[in-house]
Amino acid sequence: MRAETLKRHIDLHAWVGILTGLALFVAFFAGALNMFHHELHHWQEPAATETAAPDANMQALLDTVVANNPNAGNWMFLIPGDDPSAIWQETVDGESVWHTEHASDFNDAGEKVAPAGGSGLSEFVNELHFELAIPKVGLYFMGVVSVLYGAALIGGLVIHWSRLKKEFFALKHQGNLRRYWKNLHNLVGVISYPFHVIFAWTGAAMGCLAIVTLVMGGLVFGPQFQPAFTEASEAWPTPEASGNPAAMAGVDDYLAGARQAMPELDVGWIELQQYGDENAVVDVGGSVHGKVAHYSHVVMRGDNAELLTVSGPGQRSFNHFLMAPVYSLHFGDYGGLFVRLMYFALALLGCLLFFSGNIMWCERRTDRQGPSRSAAFMLRLTLGVTFGVMAGLAMAFIVSKPMLYSPWQAWTAPAEKIAFLVTLLIALAAAFRAAPLTTAGLWPKVCAGLYLLAPLVQGALEGFHTWLEPDFLLVNGSLLAVAASLILVDRLRRRRLRRAAPHPLWVGAAHPVTAANPVDPDPA
Amino acid sequence: MRGLLGAVLGLPLAMMLCGLLAAALPVNWRDWLVLLMLLSLLVWAVLIVLAGMARTPWRAGIGLVAANGVAWLLLQTTSLYGGA
Repeated sequence: MRAETLKRHIDLHAWVGILTGLALFVAFFAGALNMFHHELHHWQEPAATETAAPDANMQALLDTVVANNPNAGNWMFLIPGDDPSAIWQETVDGESVWHTEHASDFNDAGEKVAPAGGSGLSEFVNELHFELAIPKVGLYFMGVVSVLYGAALIGGLVIHWSRLKKEFFALKHQGNLRRYWKNLHNLVGVISYPFHVIFAWTGAAMGCLAIVTLVMGGLVFGPQFQPAFTEASEAWPTPEASGNPAAMAGVDDYLAGARQAMPELDVGWIELQQYGDENAVVDVGGSVHGKVAHYSHVVMRGDNAELLTVSGPGQRSFNHFLMAPVYSLHFGDYGGLFVRLMYFALALLGCLLFFSGNIMWCERRTDRQGPSRSAAFMLRLTLGVTFGVMAGLAMAFIVSKPMLYSPWQAWTAPAEKIAFLVTLLIALAAAFRAAPLTTAGLWPKVCAGLYLLAPLVQGALEGFHTWLEPDFLLVNGSLLAVAASLILVDRLRRRRLRRAAPHPLWVGAAHPVTAANPVDPDPA
Repeated sequence: MRGLLGAVLGLPLAMMLCGLLAAALPVNWRDWLVLLMLLSLLVWAVLIVLAGMARTPWRAGIGLVAANGVAWLLLQTTSLYGGA
């Protein structure tokens, strides 16, 4: 490849990386913790599960929720488990609002007994992952970020293809510091490349769905696009209410119908649409284990549980066959605990990739153009956001438990978000106040300490015996793994500092390149 | 700037190119719509890279506007929009 073309590829890779790196860091870090989303649900409010009525069942929950909220049956998901939950949609002033209620929220008479509020940690981590916790526009923003991330990956492949083998063995504690960051970035990028392609493509597919639908419908296919897309993506078309009430078959019949139609289905949810109307449709969804595209559906009529369609491995259209792995490949829930742990590790490595990429951009810009305000600003912003997000999430975990057992229990979810935001702002302010080298020396230790503290606070308040419960083991284990990763990164940083002087940018001022810090002749 | 142009002008171009592909292939586009949409995202990312390879931003901009125009004109010769 011509040197000029390669240089343009490197420039594009760097620019796209710097535009999207921080958003991707937040998404990947929250995504790593989100790998244990269901376990975190249990971790955040174990008392709710323990106090669930012994005879709690989904039918009782469904009847109670629909009796209290007549429109809840228009679109509702029932989630089975120790403490079944109902997630339903309500339209308020034209806006869709989702509500979640658990079986343990009600007594035998159907009266609400659970106090309002509680922890919202798992929802917050999830929101941070897919929309940076920015309502409405966050998802579209992350969709575009995913496409740009895909462009950076294409550029990365072009840049590194010819020297993949060499870069596997390139990480050495020799030469200048920038070379080390570059080798680390390349090594992590090369090792995890296939997974990044998966994350970028599936993330773009989910985030850009509305944008692609709008543009493709408006420019290419016209009004025929939407019905075709609905047919291609949904197991059964969304029913319209007829206005004629009808008696419903009931949850037990739906589950029995699903077992008969697909015996291997592990039910994960029951989706109800227009429940109580003669056009009601019920979709019993879940997983067929052992398949990558494991999501499956058994759709039936709501009134008599008559089978309408089945969509699962070996019995679905080409469109559904392609749609199912988009979700499972992104969520990493197709291969059991091992794959989830691997995704967790890959997500943390992804954070390192984006962090090192931003640092390389800042140092390279300074080396090429001399003292640069934008490079100094970007370095401080990178340090502030990355450490702020990590510390903020740890603080949300730490604040959660004391709040849950205090008289202000109803304020737990807002307190978690406030703790996150305040910590993020403190980290940003500190990053812009102190020299980057000081920030890089102090904050990994602070973050590691906070991630060690979070499981201790949980254990102190709920008993250390809970650590042995599988869900707690996974969540607390993931927090401790983050702490261990930060300690390792800090150790590597100190080791590097002992062997080579830092780039001038790190000490607070960007100086021209000196003999002690030569420009790397190979910018890739 | 070139990457930004690629991101903005590459989106409609990617969708129209995929539409032209759907028109060219003798298979009903409804049967492989999900693949078409996934492909359109890949084409969009490739167009961002190609725009980034242009020597100057205005070259990238003019090239993308022209390509969008040509793709739109070609799409009018197909029966895709609003067709059965």
